[in-house]
Amino acid sequence: MGGLQKKKYERGSATNYITRNKARKKLQLSLADFRRLCILKGIYPHEPKHKKKVNKGSTAPRTFYLFKDIRFLLHEPIVRKFREYKVFVRKLRKAYGKAEWTGVERLRDNKPGYKLDHIIKERYPTFIDALRDIDDALSMCFLFSTFARTGKCHVQTITLCRRLTVEWMNYVVTSRSLRKVFLSIKGIYYQAEVLGQLITWLVPYQFAHDHPTDVDYRVMATFTEMYTTLFGFINFRLYQTLNLVYPPKLDSKAESELKAEHEEDYAMDSESYLEKLSALSASLARVVATAEEEENQLDLFPTEGEDQENMQAREKEQKEQEAQKRLFEGLKFFLNREVPRESLAFILRCFGAEVSWDKSLCIGGTYEVTDETITHQIVDRPDMDKQYINRYYIQPQWVFDSVNAQMRLPVEDYFLGTTLPPHLSPFVEEKDGDYVPPEKLKLMALQRGEKPEEEDDVDDEELTEEKNLKKMEGTRAQGKTLAVKVTPGKVKPWETGSVGNKVRLEQEEKAEEKRLAIMMMKKKEKYLYDKIMFGKKRTTREVNKLTAKRKAHEDASKAQKKQKKAKKQ
Amino acid sequence: MAAVKRLKRVAALQPGFISFKWSAESDDLNSGRRKRVNKNKKKNWNKHSDIQDVEEFLDDVRLQERTTGLCFLCLLEVQERKKGKKSKSRPLRIDLILQHDSLVPPPKDVLAYQQPNAKKLRRIAENAEKLAAMGVLPRRQKLLLNRRPATKTSKAKTAANNFPDRPYYDLWGGEGKFETADPYYLEQTGKSCVKRPEKLNVKPSILPAVEVIAPGGSYNPDFFSHQALLLEAHEVEVMRERAELRIERQLAVKQEDTATEETVFEELVEGLVEEEEEEEEEEEDVSIRGGLQQEKKTEKERKRERADKIKSQQKQAARVFTDKKQQLFQLRSIQATLKRREQRTRERVAQRKANQEAEKSMPRRLGRLKFQAQDLEIQLSDEIPGSLRTLKPEGSVLKDRFKSMQKRNMIEPRERAKFKRRHKVKYVEKRAFREIT
Repeated sequence: MGGLQKKKYERGSATNYITRNKARKKLQLSLADFRRLCILKGIYPHEPKHKKKVNKGSTAPRTFYLFKDIRFLLHEPIVRKFREYKVFVRKLRKAYGKAEWTGVERLRDNKPGYKLDHIIKERYPTFIDALRDIDDALSMCFLFSTFARTGKCHVQTITLCRRLTVEWMNYVVTSRSLRKVFLSIKGIYYQAEVLGQLITWLVPYQFAHDHPTDVDYRVMATFTEMYTTLFGFINFRLYQTLNLVYPPKLDSKAESELKAEHEEDYAMDSESYLEKLSALSASLARVVATAEEEENQLDLFPTEGEDQENMQAREKEQKEQEAQKRLFEGLKFFLNREVPRESLAFILRCFGAEVSWDKSLCIGGTYEVTDETITHQIVDRPDMDKQYINRYYIQPQWVFDSVNAQMRLPVEDYFLGTTLPPHLSPFVEEKDGDYVPPEKLKLMALQRGEKPEEEDDVDDEELTEEKNLKKMEGTRAQGKTLAVKVTPGKVKPWETGSVGNKVRLEQEEKAEEKRLAIMMMKKKEKYLYDKIMFGKKRTTREVNKLTAKRKAHEDASKAQKKQKKAKKQ
Repeated sequence: MAAVKRLKRVAALQPGFISFKWSAESDDLNSGRRKRVNKNKKKNWNKHSDIQDVEEFLDDVRLQERTTGLCFLCLLEVQERKKGKKSKSRPLRIDLILQHDSLVPPPKDVLAYQQPNAKKLRRIAENAEKLAAMGVLPRRQKLLLNRRPATKTSKAKTAANNFPDRPYYDLWGGEGKFETADPYYLEQTGKSCVKRPEKLNVKPSILPAVEVIAPGGSYNPDFFSHQALLLEAHEVEVMRERAELRIERQLAVKQEDTATEETVFEELVEGLVEEEEEEEEEEEDVSIRGGLQQEKKTEKERKRERADKIKSQQKQAARVFTDKKQQLFQLRSIQATLKRREQRTRERVAQRKANQEAEKSMPRRLGRLKFQAQDLEIQLSDEIPGSLRTLKPEGSVLKDRFKSMQKRNMIEPRERAKFKRRHKVKYVEKRAFREIT
């Protein structure tokens, strides 16, 4: 034995990973700064496969980063800015302590700052990459814009988030890309389709909520910092695609409409423009003012390799989408005071409607309650005292359900005071054989264009039957013979008759063939087939169980209703 | 320093003065055994030199000053003058130079005798105002106004990242500044950025960024989906309860092991009964006898052993041979066992793959704390609102986002830092209480 001995933990996975503290010391940063840097650059800790090897024999839980990632961090120019900031803080504190106020002012004016543009460009080299990651950014910005403006988080961040979210909503309104909405107990989920990407985000409710204490605000603030930068750039690019002016300006025509008499009542001058934008009631100005031209129908040529059918299917889809985008077009809505104004205004404007609200609520209401041309008024109270004739008074769930069903649902179910049908989630996709709630079945039937069966009919039928029975009993009691005749039985058409016969014969033939095929299968194949059928039968059994339960539940509720009715009478 | 030296020298010249050296020596008590002290360093001057005599003399001088009112040097002068008038006090040359030697008297300061005339002053002020109103200003003012104002450059406060009116530009569209330049040049001048490693572009988890809540979480849910959600929450609670009771279950004592009267009685009575003693004696004899017999082996024994060994070996060989032959007929069963083994390995492989796939969607262990999933947001059947107005939102989106980031392995699970005291707080009674007790 002569040469160099191989020692443990000198090569392989033990050298590929580095612990958090060692990485921090290598970068010469404090822990908070290191964490901030990792969040900004998108460097995440890794869990190694063999912890014992990496941890040099011990199993203590430690945070590991890849060594190459940390080496990459060493080249980051922001690291220098962090150190400068540390020095700045130290100098500032000294100046404060010595009560050198000029020095304090001078230092404050020269406060070091950093920009994240190059990091965004590095992490998302193309625009589509950035669009894929915008879900997170959207949710964070919406969340931060609902925070109260006490001094806890920087008020500047909150204002910036508000501005960005308003810009995004205006973009979605102008491009009409909203597809699904879901009201949950946590917040409102939206889904939009932007440049081919499906983007889902969550908006919390506007009512006050208490802030949980076990959330690390610094971490969230750092994430928001990065996301606001990303979001702003994406907004700019999106506005460019739609040929709109960025930063967004209201259309001059619309702006003149919005000029209210007492603008100072709503907001300060500096903020009033943002408030007007956030009202979402006016359209945005374009770079090149184009008149609304009718698009000529272009001749569509099939692309290579596609048959006529696919092309037709795509055309149909596009037509449906276009129709969906004009869901509420031509309707005029008025929002009552107790209804969530921003959410409803956003959705209604996304589908082409005109919206307004009470003047005392917010800036931007274009018409008043007394306007005669209003077609729908959205109210959430049990009853309204003054009712106009030629408008519908509906609860807000109608809007959300219509959007999800992609058609205007019948308004009768959503009148004031009625129990609403359940609000189903559009994000659930049922596979064949799964349990589908009857409400959804009704919806699908509606979408197909069939008229809905009304439950009152059934009740009426039962009532009429009962009445007949009572009449018959009455006559019997009087001793008269019943005017009931025995008529010869009617033969159902599909037992005799040519058409019915043929269909039945065909079905029987098919069943025979199936049975033969099953008999001829090999043992292995039969075993697989049995397994599949067993699985299928199980799901159908469960579905039947659920439907039976639902029926029982409904019968019970019907019985209760009848009792109530009987009591009333 | 020089003054002190001079003073000492002068003092030494006085008649009543005791010389330095003598005093230094007389003060030392241990004159015979004197320690060798290094007086070259400054810090030893104070320690090892005695200045008592000088101090005495100086006190004397001060006393004289106080009593006679003259300074020491003046006293000397007086004494000298008394002695002889040789040193006549001549005025110093500097004093002579500063005297006025001109016969011209200094001029009177006119301004000092001037009295302000209110009327004149008023008139001057009015004139100045009129001129200023017309635009004619005294030269001084004109110069001041012409000076360039100190432009307070609005320092790059806009460099901050998050001020509300931050401008954005087209990040992806604009031409890269450095696309046309030479890569070597860019690298050497530090203008190019280091390339981002490919692995960093991979997302740390396959879970989507925003997970939509189950349909039972709607504000007006369908009956069955709501029940399904409640069932899930119920399961979670059941698991939690079971985990809590697990320890108690492990420590539980079996009911059979508790002592009953019979067992107690048996324990007390054990060892008192005499029936079993004889059997024990016989067993002992047998074992003793077996041990004593083994003595030397005879030749017979050895030959027999060898023959036995050979026979057994032959038997074994024959058995192996027949086994191999018989395996031909056992092919089918061998195949069956092989098939079963293969199937088991295949099942295990499939199971392992499924486990790995499941792990990809689970949060990884990235630090000291384990990931705690948050509670499902549900509303009980009596809490479900009838309308949007009466809805009370459940859960917090902030916490949801925080947990979602932990679930997607973007940050490690964190909890609030506890306040640990380094040193125990000493209990000190208030003054008021101390008086009472």
